Amino acid sequence: MGNSQNKQASESQTADSSDVYTNSFVPYVNKWGRRTNFLAVGLSLGPAVALLAVFGILPPTAAIVGAIVSVAITFGWDWFIEPLSYYPVLGIPGTYMAFLSGNISNLRLPCAAAAQEASDVETGTPQASIISTVAIAASIFVNTAMLGVGAVALVSAFQALPELWKNALESYLVPAVFGAIFAQFGRDYPKVASIGFAIALGMTLLLELGYLAFLPSYPLYAVIIVSVFGTTLIAREMWKRDMISPPEADE
Amino acid sequence: MVSHELVSITPAYMDVANSRWLWLSTVPVVLVVLMQAAIFLRRAWNDGREMGLSEEKLKTGFKTGVISAIGPSVAVLAGMLALIATVGGPVAWMRLTVIGSVAFELPAAELGVSQFGYSLGDEGITEQAYATAVWAMTLGGTGWLLVSAFGTRHMEMVRTKISNGNEKLLPVVSAAAMLGAFAYFLSGEATAGTPETGSIAVGGLTMLGLLHLADSRDVQWLREWALGVAMFVGLLVGVAIRVTVGSWW
Repeated sequence: MGNSQNKQASESQTADSSDVYTNSFVPYVNKWGRRTNFLAVGLSLGPAVALLAVFGILPPTAAIVGAIVSVAITFGWDWFIEPLSYYPVLGIPGTYMAFLSGNISNLRLPCAAAAQEASDVETGTPQASIISTVAIAASIFVNTAMLGVGAVALVSAFQALPELWKNALESYLVPAVFGAIFAQFGRDYPKVASIGFAIALGMTLLLELGYLAFLPSYPLYAVIIVSVFGTTLIAREMWKRDMISPPEADE
Repeated sequence: MVSHELVSITPAYMDVANSRWLWLSTVPVVLVVLMQAAIFLRRAWNDGREMGLSEEKLKTGFKTGVISAIGPSVAVLAGMLALIATVGGPVAWMRLTVIGSVAFELPAAELGVSQFGYSLGDEGITEQAYATAVWAMTLGGTGWLLVSAFGTRHMEMVRTKISNGNEKLLPVVSAAAMLGAFAYFLSGEATAGTPETGSIAVGGLTMLGLLHLADSRDVQWLREWALGVAMFVGLLVGVAIRVTVGSWW
């Protein structure tokens, strides 16, 4: 029996290897991927729990709910769209690993792609998925170590900075990052970007000048909702009228 | 640990944010990430051998993963500075090792402190506002974790279902929502003052220029470094405006 299996293996290696892949590798990865990613949901609460348990700091429920709703309005789409759109490239194991470890487009995808290229496996095959898994695992070890050492070093460096620079870092890095990311997304849809900015600026000015005071509590949520959904609705109408289209070639 | 004459004006929550307890609290989740990587790696290696992949190819895959991760990791580290300055070292490290990227964590933190009327970098951010930022990043990040934990098995099916409809609309809607949200962040910063506005404009223009260059010459490392560079140029312009003309509004 063992003999005939071996013979078969040498005769039709591709069929056999996809058997190992679908019947052994993928079920194992699904089982452990589900468990580890779900476990991480609980453990990622670590700092929030430490703030409560050690320092007794717990924000009012209303603030947490308000923040979560704002985050969900802003990023809720991406929770579903990103896994769906990266899945064909990352494969099953890569999807579990990449969404657990983050930095997907700038780190995991390039590592997986480079490794497939270097190992000379054909994209989309089980072999390619295995090589991606190996490469993403390697990238996780490297970036965890580098960010760990870097974070400790950067914290000390930051605390040793003169007050002017410390204030500058606190005040101006954030707007620069926001500007850069807005530009990155806006590159593909400049019209949508300008409309979105006009809406958001208008709403922010209305808020700061007190014209939204008729709304209950601090009406920041109104600014977010109108900015996000207003821009989305207008973009949809523009798309229907063929005024905008997704970029052709993906990177 | 921290010399007090140096941090006198730094917000009070920073002592908590960089405390030993917070470092400790980040360890379990990072261990889970490493553990998952280790067990997937072992299984991929063994099953890969059985599938006829040579030890050679597997080693090449691993080595390429290591080498390719170095450049982007340094770039991530540069972006991490913005998070370290606002939410402290431990949380910055954890959020960027697990789940997140600067493009999510920074806005999420901003949305957290904004519940109290603050903006990141404001003086006088309270410990409660800081804690809200931590909760916002944590709970907001679980969206991806839950979808990947329970959805990965069904991805193939969902994709075929979606592509029956108008799948071209999905990226448009997603990008528009993102642009609307970042437009909101931008206007919050822009109304804060002239230096902030300068940082936004120059950060954005630098990004556009670098990405254009990366595309036209097809330079991958430039793409990785674009955010880090744009961030620093924007920062310098913000500082330059503040020390020269100050803020007009």
